[in-house]
Amino acid sequence: MNSGPAITVKGLTKDFRVGLRGLKLRAVDQVSFEIPRGEVFGLLGPNGCGKSTTLKIILGLVSPTAGEVSILGFPFATTSARSRTGFLPEAPYFHKFLTGRELVAYCARLSGVKPESVDQAVEEALTLAAMTEAGDRTIGTYSKGMLQRIGLAQAIVHDPELVILDEPTAGVDPVGSATIGQMIKAMKSKGKTIVLCSHLLGQVEQVCDRIAIMDRGKLVLEGRVEDVLTRRDQHVITVENLSPAARRAAEEVLAQQGARVTSLTHPRRSLDELFRELVTGSRDA
Amino acid sequence: MKSSLMRISWMTRLTFLEAIRQRFFAFLILLSAALVLSSVSFRFLDFGHGELKFVCDFGFGGMFLFGSVLAVVMSAQLFFAEIDNRTALTLLAKPVSRTEFIIGKFVGVWLVLGVFIFTLSTLLGIILWARCQELTVTAVEAGKAPPELSVAGLYAYTGMQWARLGVVAAMILMVASLARTFLFAVIIGSMLVVAGQLQWLAQEALLKPGELNSFSKFILSISTYIIPNLQQFNIGDALTLDHGSVADGAVSLSLFSGACYIVVFLFIASLIFRQREI
Repeated sequence: MNSGPAITVKGLTKDFRVGLRGLKLRAVDQVSFEIPRGEVFGLLGPNGCGKSTTLKIILGLVSPTAGEVSILGFPFATTSARSRTGFLPEAPYFHKFLTGRELVAYCARLSGVKPESVDQAVEEALTLAAMTEAGDRTIGTYSKGMLQRIGLAQAIVHDPELVILDEPTAGVDPVGSATIGQMIKAMKSKGKTIVLCSHLLGQVEQVCDRIAIMDRGKLVLEGRVEDVLTRRDQHVITVENLSPAARRAAEEVLAQQGARVTSLTHPRRSLDELFRELVTGSRDA
Repeated sequence: MKSSLMRISWMTRLTFLEAIRQRFFAFLILLSAALVLSSVSFRFLDFGHGELKFVCDFGFGGMFLFGSVLAVVMSAQLFFAEIDNRTALTLLAKPVSRTEFIIGKFVGVWLVLGVFIFTLSTLLGIILWARCQELTVTAVEAGKAPPELSVAGLYAYTGMQWARLGVVAAMILMVASLARTFLFAVIIGSMLVVAGQLQWLAQEALLKPGELNSFSKFILSISTYIIPNLQQFNIGDALTLDHGSVADGAVSLSLFSGACYIVVFLFIASLIFRQREI
């Protein structure tokens, strides 16, 4: 088994031609990052920043203008790489006349699951997606949350090494979003590499090991969640039994005032705060 | 290879299921069936032996016209439904190649066209056979030769029409893989079908020396290669009522030519579709 990164993106650029005059619109601009295997990677950014285009290039659905992409050791998204990858597109739409179970079984067969293993694989995927009960209903009757969950089931039915989720919580209520978050954690515990594109920053902060933030096609930040959210130049002292007098006396007199310092940590800003700071900052520039 | 065939077969099944459920398909098959059934009324017009040929032409005309409409609209519609509804995103993110996608679509549409054309020809066959029995009794009573009806010929013609519709469906998929909208694919596809029906005129013109300048000859020669001669499949009444009038090998040659066009159109369609951004 290849132990290299799950995804490597180097200098990725994508231009779209728009209008009759063929004006160039740069959707992705010199983006580079690497996603190690077994990690949950959050790809964040405002609408239209190039996240989905980047994912589509990784999957071979869109060809890049420049740059290199390698997925699971393959130079580009070949059918071999795609057989080990699961993908949930943004706002997924499936054939409405199929039942959830039929759709997942269909995707299992397309993904090369052996005929004798299809039923078991479908049951496992439906169970993970909490769709066992609704599995026999036609997709046309599903709510938005159920559509996302059945989309997730079809993405993981063939037990892929890499799962790419493009806004899995879009339009889903908080309970549904929490369920999807739990599913991502369950996949993470199985050692899957997960790429998560989402606007639900609190959830991203909870489930992701690493994040990258894109804005206007460019990568403006990339790193481990802990590293990018921690302010190394400041400290936080957490105290117990702190009286108003101790607050005034500051650190040297805390001990004299009877307060006990229980921990010394770096203060964190929230991912939401960091995101808004980066995105708004680059727009002002 | 085996897994590729399996994927194509699954794409085909989904396309077939999707197509057979469409109201447009139900509407056209009912309309065509009503048209074929209405030919029963011709018995009151007293055509004699010529009545069978008239019924035949009428039924074949319906199959030809509505089959062509169905092939054009359904091929384009099923292709664009996948693109516009973004179900293609899900499918093509699986280990399904663009070529497998195109072939799966084609075979699915072609099977639906087969259901359409064989249902109608069976209906037409029943009407022709029943009327032929009546006319045979009348002819024997009058001391005349009974009318001829070849059921094998009818199905040979149906097979020819199915091949013709396959050529049309492959041609439309080629246009659709290039087109940006469903409407564009239908309009251009329909124009190509009409050109295919009239292509024999170009062939005849080329056979008359001295009437064309070199530029016109060049254009017509090119068109005879690019656009298939769809008229070559229309030998229905000859096959059904007068089998002897069909030249030896004509059916095989037409089917071979149709198969070649299907392969070439699907090859071009998959080449174009590979470059398409989903």
